[in-house]
Formats: sequence, structure tokens, C-alpha cells
Amino acid sequence: MDKYQQKAIRMMEWLMLIAAILLVIIGKLTGDTFFLRLATEALIFGGLALSVDLLLGIVGLLSLGQALYFGFGAYLSAVILRDWIASFWVCIVIVTFASAILGWITSYIALRSKGVYFALISFGLAQVFAKSIYNTRSLGASDGMVGVPIIRIPLPFVTLNLGDAVTFFVITFMFMGSIYFALKYFLYTPLGRIWAGVRSNDSRLPYLGYNTAAPKRIAFILAAIVAGVSGALYPMLRGFVSPELMYFSVSGNAVITVVLGGVGTLIGPLFGSSLLMILKSVIGTLTLHHHIVIGLIFVVLVIFAPKGIVGILSTKLKNRGVR
Amino acid sequence: MSLPILQAKSLNKNFGGLRAVGQVTFDLDPLGVTSIIGPNGAGKTTLFNLLSGLYIPDEGQLLMNGEDITQLGPVARLSRGMARSFQITNLFFDLTVEQNLQLASQKLESWPKLFYATSKSPLTLQRAQELLEEFHLEAKKDELAGALSHGEQRRLEIAVTMALRPKILLLDEPTQGMSQGDTQETSQLIAQLAKNVTILLIEHDVELVMDLSKHVIVMAQGEKIADGNPRDVRSNPIVQTAYFGDAA
Repeated sequence: MDKYQQKAIRMMEWLMLIAAILLVIIGKLTGDTFFLRLATEALIFGGLALSVDLLLGIVGLLSLGQALYFGFGAYLSAVILRDWIASFWVCIVIVTFASAILGWITSYIALRSKGVYFALISFGLAQVFAKSIYNTRSLGASDGMVGVPIIRIPLPFVTLNLGDAVTFFVITFMFMGSIYFALKYFLYTPLGRIWAGVRSNDSRLPYLGYNTAAPKRIAFILAAIVAGVSGALYPMLRGFVSPELMYFSVSGNAVITVVLGGVGTLIGPLFGSSLLMILKSVIGTLTLHHHIVIGLIFVVLVIFAPKGIVGILSTKLKNRGVR
Repeated sequence: MSLPILQAKSLNKNFGGLRAVGQVTFDLDPLGVTSIIGPNGAGKTTLFNLLSGLYIPDEGQLLMNGEDITQLGPVARLSRGMARSFQITNLFFDLTVEQNLQLASQKLESWPKLFYATSKSPLTLQRAQELLEEFHLEAKKDELAGALSHGEQRRLEIAVTMALRPKILLLDEPTQGMSQGDTQETSQLIAQLAKNVTILLIEHDVELVMDLSKHVIVMAQGEKIADGNPRDVRSNPIVQTAYFGDAA
């Protein structure tokens, strides 16, 4: 990552913060929460894209089934909140551990291979889970689960109500921001350097004394956790979950989001998710065939700007010679 | 007389019906350069792969400082002090020179430091800096390894293998594709390293081998056909026929 790319990433971090503040101010002043809820959903799916970027951009593993962990987190969250205890913290802690365990177990299947075979195994795993959920009556089968209550988060001096769009947006923004900076921290540790080595030339690593299985497994489990806890927020926002959350379209959208934002940049997926959500909303108001338009935009972007938004921005900074 | 640091005893490796390495036996004395020469297809790189743990021999035994390492993989062999370079440059091309060296050096740290910021890994940073200076790569430290010249990449490859201060260094054609100037510089570097490390070298440049080596092993068709000091090997009629040609 060169200095222009780092500069572009810093600019995008600030841009995200400014956009979030503006959204909150506008939401508070106008009382119109449509865009806030849209932005919250974009951030939640941005979390899924972050997990894809950790695997694809940082470790070099293309997952086509990351929606498995997202959907798992969403369903587990819905079950906990609706049928057991309506506690944000209990839900997040349980989903974190359960996603880690699921990631650990499935890593032994998925990490047996790499390249296109890894992609196909990850895709297959998600399909198996999605179909299983689809056929499980106690989880609502094809209808999904509805009736997830509005969550309140008691803090020492105040209780936060996630039914309030502004509050939910701020919580989600802080939540995703924490995940983003935690993952970014890892990139600058020896573990992050090993991940870069795995991505760059994993057959060389054993001759430097590294077994590649453990660092890949750590990344895989972390990605499962990130996708799982992002999914856990979904029923809190929408009040329901459905098997579609585990479908390939969700995994595929996450990959598109990563490419749109910039592979291996971490901020790119969060930014890309917001952009994709805006595109869907704006183009969706103009035509029923918005998927075709978005597909075409994606093709054009991959051809002319394969490094995504971060790549476009860093090239502009480089051309201007910004220090 | 010192004990051998590495002993290969009747190493065999077959691929299907092809015997790539057959009954190769030799001792490697500490320090200095021992070279393996032979025509293309002689089994030199397969022998290196057996020594470094990429392949496990079908038969035979490999001892390092008296310990049987025959069944160990590359990671375990490196932890005992055996490092290797590759015939085709094998680096992390989309990482910078400094990042390549830090990645190679960070095994010096204790494992909890895996989760600390790299800036809090003093042994890694110090070793990477030493290597940058020793291998004259400081001016290139922020460049991507993939953007270096061929000679610089070969030098970085040796620097990476030296990061963990190995006791035995296996160098597979380190001067391959280099200009005459780069070859000379690399030759001096190897001679310098050999004062502190035992080097086993595969090299096609016979003059370089004869200048650098204290001991030469000659292979042909997967078997060792001769070994000895460079002068004896050069005058050996079997070697002259098999390697230098009948006209030698």
C-alpha cells in the first residue's frame, strides 16, 4: 500500500465521519429518518463486506458464501432477542462466540483448498445452510422469523432505544467503526504481515518458518465473527429475518461492494456498501430494472477502475502530487 | 577434525519410474562453501528439495548435528537452522523490500508479539535494518520487491533466507541470469557469508564454484559421481567426461 493509497483511505475515513454527522443532523432537524435507516442498513451490509475484504483483500481468499455467517448471526440474534432475552449485549456476545465456533468448524472444510475451489466450497456451504434454514419450520421456514422486539441498551446514565433511527444509526456507526479500526490494527501487526505473505506467496512462507494454516484459520474465524455480528444487527433494524439473507445474491453483493470500494483497503467495503445502497435507491426510483443498471456500472468499474473508489482517489492524489 | 553439520546417507527419491536422486551420500563440514554441480537434469534441485524438506526421501537418512531430520518439513528444519533460496526468485513481490525482510525476521520475536503493532517488535525492526545494510538494499527499502532489478531481487532473496541467522544456507543458483558485475558482487557476498554460515551451493558457473568452494560434489543422472576439493574434481576423468565433456 503506497502513501497515496494511505492518504486516500484517510480521506475516506474522514468523509465517512462527516457524512455520518450530516445524516444525524439532517435526521434530527427534519425528523425524516428514511435515509438514516437506509444508511444503517448500508453499514450493516458494509460489515459483511468488511469480512469479505478481510478474506479476499488481506489474505487472498475469495469467499462466495460469506452470507452464511451473516445469516447465521441474524437468525441467532432473532432467536435470542425474540424468544429468550431482549438484551443487546447478551445477543452480541453469544453471536460473537457462536460465529467463531461456526467459523472454526467450517474452516476445516473450506481451508482444505484454495483459489477457485475455496470459492466453490464457501458457496456450497452457504447453500447447504440456506436450504436447511428454508426447510426448518421452527425457524419460520421460507417465511423467516418476524416479531423481533425493539431493543433498548441500558447504559449507566441513559438507556438507548434502538427504535429511534438516529440512535440506531449512531450505535451501528460506532460498532462498524470499532470493527474497522480493530481489523486495521491487525494489518500493522506481525500477524497482518503474515496475512500479506499468504496473499502474496503462501508457498514461500514455510521456508521462513511459518505454517500457513493457522494464520488463514485466524482470518477465517475473524471474518466469520465480523459477518456474524453484522448480521446480528439486521433483525434489530428490520424486525425480521428470512432465508434470503444466506443466499448467493447477498454473498455476491458483498463481493461487488468490496470491488466497488477497493479490495484490501477495509474502508472501501464500508464506502462501497453505502454507494451501492444509494445507487439501488436512486436507480430503483427510476426503473424497475435497477439490477441491470447496477450490473452494468459494476462491469464498467471493473474494466476502467479495478482498484475501486480508493484506487480512483489515490490515482488522483498521485497525479496531483499530494504529500 | 570437526563433526559434519549435515550428513546425507543413501538418499533416494523416485517420481513414478524415474529415479531423480539415487543413493546420494555426503557429509557437510561446518562453515565455508560446498558446491553441487552437474549437467541439467542431474538431480541437484531435487536433492535440495530433499535437504530442505519439500520432499521426503523414499529411502535414506538425513542428519543435522547428529539429529535425524529425514521426516521433518521445511518449518521444523528452519527452526533447527536450515534455510534455503530458490532457483526461480521466490519473494513477496507485492510487498516492499523492508516488508519482505520484516516478514522474514519477525520469527525472532516471541509469539504474543504477533498481536502487537509491528512498531513494537524491536528484534524484527533491528534485524530487517541490519539486512538492509548488509545486503546494500537500504536505498530500495520502500520499493516493491517486484519492481527491483533481477540482480537486486536475487540479493534480496539471499537476505530473506539469512534473516533468522541460519546455520546452514542452501543456495540454488543464486547468480542465475545475473550480469557479470552482479555475479561478482554476489560471489563476494557468498564468500563473506561463508565465514559464519555453512553454505551448500548449486551453481552452473564453474569458475565461480571453483573459486568459492572448499568442497565440490558432482552429480549426473541423479547420482553422485565424484566429490572432493575443486582441484581434484576438476582433474577427475569421470567428471570431465560427464560434466565438462570429452574434450575437457
